[in-house]
Amino acid sequence: MSRAHIEARGLFKRFGHVEALAGLDLTLDAGECLALLGPNGAGKSTLLRIVAGLARPSEGSLSIDGDAAHERTARRRIGYIGHASLLYPELSARENLIFAGRLYDLADPPGRADELLSEEGLSEVSQRLVSGFSRGMAQRVAIARGLVHDPDVLLLDEPFTGLDRRAARRLESRLDALRRSGHTLILVTHDLASAARLAQHVVVLSEGRTVYESRGPLEPDSLERTYVDALEDAP
Amino acid sequence: MRVAAAIFWKDLLIEWRSRDRIVAMLLFSLLTVMVFHFSLPGGATAQTQAMAPGLLWIAYVFSALFGLGRSFSLELENDALSGLALAPTDRGWILLGKVAANLVILGVAQAVTALVFALVFDLSLLPVAPALAGIVVLGSLGLCTVGTFFSAIAVQTRFREVMLPLLLLPVLWPLLSAAVRATTALLAGEPVPSEAIQLLIVSDATYLIVSFLSFDFILDD
Repeated sequence: MSRAHIEARGLFKRFGHVEALAGLDLTLDAGECLALLGPNGAGKSTLLRIVAGLARPSEGSLSIDGDAAHERTARRRIGYIGHASLLYPELSARENLIFAGRLYDLADPPGRADELLSEEGLSEVSQRLVSGFSRGMAQRVAIARGLVHDPDVLLLDEPFTGLDRRAARRLESRLDALRRSGHTLILVTHDLASAARLAQHVVVLSEGRTVYESRGPLEPDSLERTYVDALEDAP
Repeated sequence: MRVAAAIFWKDLLIEWRSRDRIVAMLLFSLLTVMVFHFSLPGGATAQTQAMAPGLLWIAYVFSALFGLGRSFSLELENDALSGLALAPTDRGWILLGKVAANLVILGVAQAVTALVFALVFDLSLLPVAPALAGIVVLGSLGLCTVGTFFSAIAVQTRFREVMLPLLLLPVLWPLLSAAVRATTALLAGEPVPSEAIQLLIVSDATYLIVSFLSFDFILDD
């Protein structure tokens, strides 16, 4: 695994008259987990989609080890797990992962699909159509899909939404293991307790701007207080 | 290229399991043929037979509008479209995979429609079947290419059902006029005008190249 360094400089994203990002600067070290926090409409998902290469900035730049995020070399290093699963309900879990493997031009997509399904404990249901899966099972397939090409950077947009406590804990330890193995994680969440447990770097956004940034270990209670204060003090 | 093949396989597998597009396309094109049959005076006369090529292509275009509209709307569920856009490839290959799948699905609908059309308008299509198939493939390639391209644009707008025909029909004009001219000559037992075939080939190549190169920007937010 090569370690990915992400850098955003003067990032603006406008949708018509709406400014989703307003001059954002951000540096993310390799192997870090960044928690992106903020109220709805703060620009968190927009930033994540720019890192994923799904959107281009209106102004400024975002690079992954020097490559612009929308370039193919950068896209190959990104895994994206959004609020939606990116899965086709009419395909089985295994077919979805094989298809994703082919999109990344893997040498053996069926082998990789079986390996991931086994890791997620889904081998028994691998041939079942995703349309019949519970939210938790579909989320596990979605995580496997995001990891199919073993990306250096994993982008997670509200990954705990809809998961029960047990499934959320399981996902949390999976993400922690990924970070320890050298993956860079960007986590967008409203779940401050999970953010405090996973992240070493916190950025709070409000109206497309950074209103708070810190690095280092975090306590859930202090993060909650800091988060509320940061939003109250925001211009 | 492998990405295009993967998308082709995935779209056909989904269509095989759901059959929602092919059924809608067939019903719509067959209803169109029936409307033509009952609205034209005297049923299968020489006059209506002369209009047959134009009517056949109208049925094909209406049918294609139904199928092409669904081509990208199936990618909206669970935001699968983002999953495609994340692939580290020239996004033009995504378009080509979809065009190939649409061409196969439309081809099935066109073959059944042609059979019913021949029965209703008392046309003998069998002796000219290979040449007719060639013209239909050339016409459908351009139709599917530009239709799939606009389907990807339309699906991201609020008025997606209206947007696709509004974008597609004006652009199709040269291709359709060439396809109708070639089909008319063929069914009349005359030599197919080479200018019509050339126009079909040039239109297909233009649509393919322009759509392939500009598709990268269509999938960006």
